[in-house]
Amino acid sequence: MLTSLKLMIRPSHVSYCFVIVLCHLCLAFTLSASEVNNKSLQVHGFVAQGVIDASGSNYINDDENLSFELTEVGINASYQLNDTFRIAGQAVYLNGGNRYHAGPRVDYLLLEWDAFHNDLWQASFYFGRVKNNHWLHSSTRDIPFARPSIIIPQVVYFDGFRDIAVGGDGAAVKLRYSDDAIGEIDFNFSRGESSISDDQADVVIGKLALGTIDHDLDAQASIYWRPPYSQWRFGISALDSSFTYDRVEIDNFFDGDFIFQFYTANAIYEGEFWQFSAEIFQERFVTSGFYFPGFHRDEIGQGYYVQASYQLQKDFSLMTRYERFYANKDDRNGAKLSQSTGGLVPSYFGFHHDTMIGLSYDFSSNFRVNAEYHWMEGGARLSPIVQPNPIANDSKNWQVWAIQFMYWF
Amino acid sequence: MSFNVNYKDEIIKAIFFKIAVVILLFSPQVYAINIISNITADTASLSVTQLRRIYSMRQLHWQNGTPIVVYVLASNNPLHQQFCKQQLRLFPYQLDRIWNKLTFSGYGVAPIEVATQQELIKAVKLTKGAIGYVDNLSEVKDVNVIKIDD
Repeated sequence: MLTSLKLMIRPSHVSYCFVIVLCHLCLAFTLSASEVNNKSLQVHGFVAQGVIDASGSNYINDDENLSFELTEVGINASYQLNDTFRIAGQAVYLNGGNRYHAGPRVDYLLLEWDAFHNDLWQASFYFGRVKNNHWLHSSTRDIPFARPSIIIPQVVYFDGFRDIAVGGDGAAVKLRYSDDAIGEIDFNFSRGESSISDDQADVVIGKLALGTIDHDLDAQASIYWRPPYSQWRFGISALDSSFTYDRVEIDNFFDGDFIFQFYTANAIYEGEFWQFSAEIFQERFVTSGFYFPGFHRDEIGQGYYVQASYQLQKDFSLMTRYERFYANKDDRNGAKLSQSTGGLVPSYFGFHHDTMIGLSYDFSSNFRVNAEYHWMEGGARLSPIVQPNPIANDSKNWQVWAIQFMYWF
Repeated sequence: MSFNVNYKDEIIKAIFFKIAVVILLFSPQVYAINIISNITADTASLSVTQLRRIYSMRQLHWQNGTPIVVYVLASNNPLHQQFCKQQLRLFPYQLDRIWNKLTFSGYGVAPIEVATQQELIKAVKLTKGAIGYVDNLSEVKDVNVIKIDD
């Protein structure tokens, strides 16, 4: 009976039901927002749907057709238990086509402890499932209206690593200081691990890898500084993570270990009409085993993006971005990569570049449409990166456009 | 001769007055902004930095330990926009960005948004530790008015 029930309830039906429930919750809370008069409870959410098309790659879907797989729905609640403790959680449903596994997720679920505060200092600890807030847009990468564009810079916010990079189960600490002489300083530290489902593993390591991948360690730290009354803010971050692949008895791959280290520096300028931001990074990706016993590869990749936006009218703004990423800083054109695979992997899988233009229009203070066009070059940010797919991605140059409507409360 | 000079002055004054009236008529409304708090806040004055800290959710308690409850109008409300620029020296979108980041990452809470100034005054009056802003103090009673030091 249970087996037949399981067969009847397909995962897609569960996801469909989940998104319907989330939408109803969003609607219910929006309608009764004025009735929620409890200062300790806050409820917020968002709904976004768009249309997206990628030609020349399987970035969104395998048939390269126009797609509506650009759905993001979320609802969160925060409840202040007393002066010292607060609980908060957010559930989301995401569908981005091949970019990441489609389905519901518990985005964060945490207990906050306000450990110390005075006029200048604030120290808080967070326990549970915490989000990565170390990079410029990492904590709002799934929040359509709070990120800079529909597709955020893949050089830093690679969709293939979304479920690993977005946060983890563990703890975080946030230390904040501000005064008239120094300005505002934020120090963040987090440690945790992500549980990687089979569907998520398919995106990260590919469907041919039949074993399981575990996230063993994730330690991250970041410091942000805004000088007194400045429109600039500067930050640096560091990430150290490791993963283990355990093969099954009959598998196309072998036991393996991965180390991923990521260092970033960023700056943002927030003017009345102009906004600029940039992130530059270096990553180290070490692979031991996996392809065959004794295999070892230790590569250092580098990249950056710069973006600018201009508010043309009160509700209308334009933006542009320029991204560059090299998977191996000593092989910027990918020639060595192609050579080492006997030509099976084309050289353009050694880099990823993007030039983007976009626009944003606010219908009201909580209803917006974003539209953008990307000229992409290279395949180093196409999933799964450990198993490049040159058949589905046989073009060095490919394009993506997207339009997304979003509502939030 | 002196009559002519006085006459010219009057004409110039009249022209300037008319120009000033035209400018005011076609300019965005300028409000005198006052910061108010619930009487439990027990604070007579704040520096601009302290006010910024409160509205960017970096200071969550008053000096006497009472938790601060921040009230705001919608980000496209002219009074809110002027409050951000004039009192906080921030653009409204900067505050929105800070609040959205806190709310949707779980690392904090955003201020409570109300639809009208009357609702805001009522909320500040009735909520322990509340802070808000108004453009006219004449109709506001039973709240603490906070002076902002530059």
